[in-house]
Amino acid sequence: MSNIAGKAYAMNVITPIRWYTTWTNKLFFKAALLIPETLKGLLTLSLIHYARWVIIPRDGFPRLDPSQPKEELHYAYMLFFSNFNGSWDQYVDSFTFAIPSGLDLFWKWNIRYPKSVPLTPFHDYIRHNQIDTAHYYNAYPMAASNDVKSAQKVKKALIDFNAKSSDKSADDFLKDYHMLLNNLQHDFGDMKPTPIVSLSSYEVKKRYEQTKA
Amino acid sequence: MATKSGNATALTVLSPIKNGNLGETSFADITRERCLRLPIHEESPLAKVPNTYLARLFILDNVFYESLPANDSVFNFSDITSIFSDSARKKALPRKDTLKSKYLVFSSNFHGDLDTYLTGVWEKWSYIDHEGTQRDVRHIWEHCVAFDRVTDASSFIAYIKRCQLDASLFFNGSTDDSLQEQLKSLYLKQEFTKFAVEHQGKSASEIQQDFKAFIARVQPENLEGPTWQAGKSTP
Amino acid sequence: MTTNLDLTDIQGNIIKAYGAYNFQKARYLFLRINNGDKGRQFVDAITAKVTTAIPWGKSENGDVAVEKPRVTTNIAFTYSGLEALELPTASLREFPDDFMMGMSKRKDILGDDGPSDPENWDKIWKEKVHIWISINAPDMDALIERYNWVAQQVEASDGGVTLLTGHRGGDDEENLPYQDASVLYDESGNPTPKEHFGYTDGIGDPVFEGQTNVAARVLGRGKLMRDGSWAPLATGEFLLGHVDEAMEYPKTAPSPMLLSRNGTYMVYRKLHENVAAFNRFLDEQSKSFSGSKEMLAAKFAGRWRDNGAPIVNAPDDASKDEWDKAFEAADFAGKKRMLTDFTYNNDLHGAKCPYSAHLRRINPRGSLEYGVKEAYETPGALVNRRRILRRGLPYGAVKDAARDDGNHGIIFMALNADIQRQFEFVQQQWINYANDFKEGNDKEILLGNHDTKHPSKAVLQVEPGSGKPPHFINNIPRLVETRGGDYFFIPSITALKLIAAGMVDPT
Repeated sequence: MSNIAGKAYAMNVITPIRWYTTWTNKLFFKAALLIPETLKGLLTLSLIHYARWVIIPRDGFPRLDPSQPKEELHYAYMLFFSNFNGSWDQYVDSFTFAIPSGLDLFWKWNIRYPKSVPLTPFHDYIRHNQIDTAHYYNAYPMAASNDVKSAQKVKKALIDFNAKSSDKSADDFLKDYHMLLNNLQHDFGDMKPTPIVSLSSYEVKKRYEQTKA
Repeated sequence: MATKSGNATALTVLSPIKNGNLGETSFADITRERCLRLPIHEESPLAKVPNTYLARLFILDNVFYESLPANDSVFNFSDITSIFSDSARKKALPRKDTLKSKYLVFSSNFHGDLDTYLTGVWEKWSYIDHEGTQRDVRHIWEHCVAFDRVTDASSFIAYIKRCQLDASLFFNGSTDDSLQEQLKSLYLKQEFTKFAVEHQGKSASEIQQDFKAFIARVQPENLEGPTWQAGKSTP
Repeated sequence: MTTNLDLTDIQGNIIKAYGAYNFQKARYLFLRINNGDKGRQFVDAITAKVTTAIPWGKSENGDVAVEKPRVTTNIAFTYSGLEALELPTASLREFPDDFMMGMSKRKDILGDDGPSDPENWDKIWKEKVHIWISINAPDMDALIERYNWVAQQVEASDGGVTLLTGHRGGDDEENLPYQDASVLYDESGNPTPKEHFGYTDGIGDPVFEGQTNVAARVLGRGKLMRDGSWAPLATGEFLLGHVDEAMEYPKTAPSPMLLSRNGTYMVYRKLHENVAAFNRFLDEQSKSFSGSKEMLAAKFAGRWRDNGAPIVNAPDDASKDEWDKAFEAADFAGKKRMLTDFTYNNDLHGAKCPYSAHLRRINPRGSLEYGVKEAYETPGALVNRRRILRRGLPYGAVKDAARDDGNHGIIFMALNADIQRQFEFVQQQWINYANDFKEGNDKEILLGNHDTKHPSKAVLQVEPGSGKPPHFINNIPRLVETRGGDYFFIPSITALKLIAAGMVDPT
């Protein structure tokens, strides 16, 4: 129905790369996996649930039957799929201002990639190559990636506290309980439906709900 | 293979759609409409597929022509020669690629191994479409090339694997817990927040007593329930 | 920092907060244009009296300076106003969506629901508002004189423009032809910088390139650099036709360049303050709070009510006394600095200034890096594109502090180059929502659109590892309600002249 499912936004970008430079992208991706420092900005930004980069070689599009025409392409293609919180128009500034060089590294060798600053050419480059999602499913529409991570911490802390402290004397219990709350003080954010980040997608959703009613 | 990050897996599937049409509608457009009209959130068929974190479907109609200002960071000899020769100038333009098939793209982020997951897709994917008809996963893939040879879970798994592409980089900004674990955690976070707020300033014994009742109610280690339903979109 | 602003071309309200120049009174008028020709003649007449941004009094560095005027006048237009003035379609279609739609149609973005829903706004917002005119003056005599002059121009337009009525007033009026605003006075009749909840307002507007005396004012008000210094923000964050933080000209500027350069967008909001609900809430919540009631009030705002002391540097009652002594002893510049020059670097966990406090939400400074060393290109990476200039004054009087009704609040104006990226983003993502602060849907305490059906809470953090529990404040009522407003374009003087002459040509 749209690119938005609750608090997550689905982005699909497909961009051409010269087939003989795909190794540079792959090398950088490998480095990103091995050196956590490269993804520090992205992790601190903490807007992404999951994202991936896929490189399709010129002869790499799946061909399942001789009846299917063989693709004949000049370029290899890079697919980027991301699940992030907020909308692209809202958060393009946050991404480009936080990690401009990271973005440049991911797309550097792609045909006609303009660099992340100035921002409008970058925004337009992504838009130009973006494909809208037809159906987007999110297992927790009311939770941002921050909430999923924080919930993991809450569950563990709660189980530990229950095992260690629930049967202590009332005073000791309270002391431990206060320590528990202190430890979880950044994990108490309410989870409710997302604010309306796009009026167009909100209208689509309203019409969908009318047809259900 | 970088398609896994811990226990989280990135599945990228490009299934070619048959060229041709049914009446005046192409197979690709039929498939697109079926995807667009899938019920959402709790009612999405993917809510029934175990361990799906986030997943999407769309149609790749074609690749894009890069009709954008020339600013490649890679040096091209043609950049120089194009100043002197018109044919060199034309050659310096991006090439135009055209796909010969349209592809149904299925991208999923899930917990666990691929075979188990795809078995879940085959067995659990069900929904009532906008016209009130009960559907399974075959309805979405129906018009894909060679999908008519899929008859059971194992042939479905084999089919999807032929359509699968590896990720060069899979970034996990979340957790790799099972979905049940994630949903239970979210439930506990929400419930414990309410408990903490409501019990502020109460006596030690009262909090202790109520906490025990709270634990008995929320059952932190019972992943079956009480918990959040997959796809739950309202409080 | 070599940008020289064309101060004679920029409207004065963009650069100056008139209140800071002892202009204690303001009157806002809204008009409808009935006829293009006559409307343009009216704009022409007003333009002759429009106040520019030229410095007043003695010039410091040889700039041309003029005497401080007795009264100021400024003018701005809604999108439908520009249509009524018959701007060419080629220009109109280049305005941004948010401005074209206007504020009431953006209610779902802004969270203007329930009591803030446009259906509950002052009646004037049911009218077709085309023009905004503001008059600021030190006293009512000067203000009324200029108001009468504007009224004469309306009269002279021969039906070309209509002065719209429908503002709610303090004496049960429903149909006033103007919205008055004024500083609040203490018991001895001296002007104060307070608003109706008792907070000190209007401290620390952003400082940007091209303003005068930047070096002295930039501390805590510009953008935070990696070395801990402060630099002025790019001019284009606040003025069209100038390079912005993204190293480009704001894309919200319509052509021709003469139409947009040195202009900006203004968000006008009449914000009603539920004084009784606020006082009751503060009293109730302070019963279970370990510090004083004033300290709790400071936790809500991020500043102490009496003198605006930032709570991050005066986190409790004892340290507040110390801060006050130092403040008393400081000279004028020192005082300014104490009010604005701070970061949250020593308060990463919000133990001093809570994550939900007004001040931290509207300008998190470098704190969204969460102490991760050099996580982003610059500490202000998530902040520098979200700044707004704030203008405005309180309106109305609290006649009965035990009641929420009545007509009292703040006329709030936000000036920025991109309403969606700056004002709307802050309002939605940081005031009514908090994922960037890792607080889920928890809203900013004072301005959040709290909802009685789903009561909201806020966490007042404490020192981590202290063993103390954080303090929860719960069942936060809707303290501030929207009573009207719209989005306006404030053109430059050049653009006003082009509009008035019907000479806007994007060819």
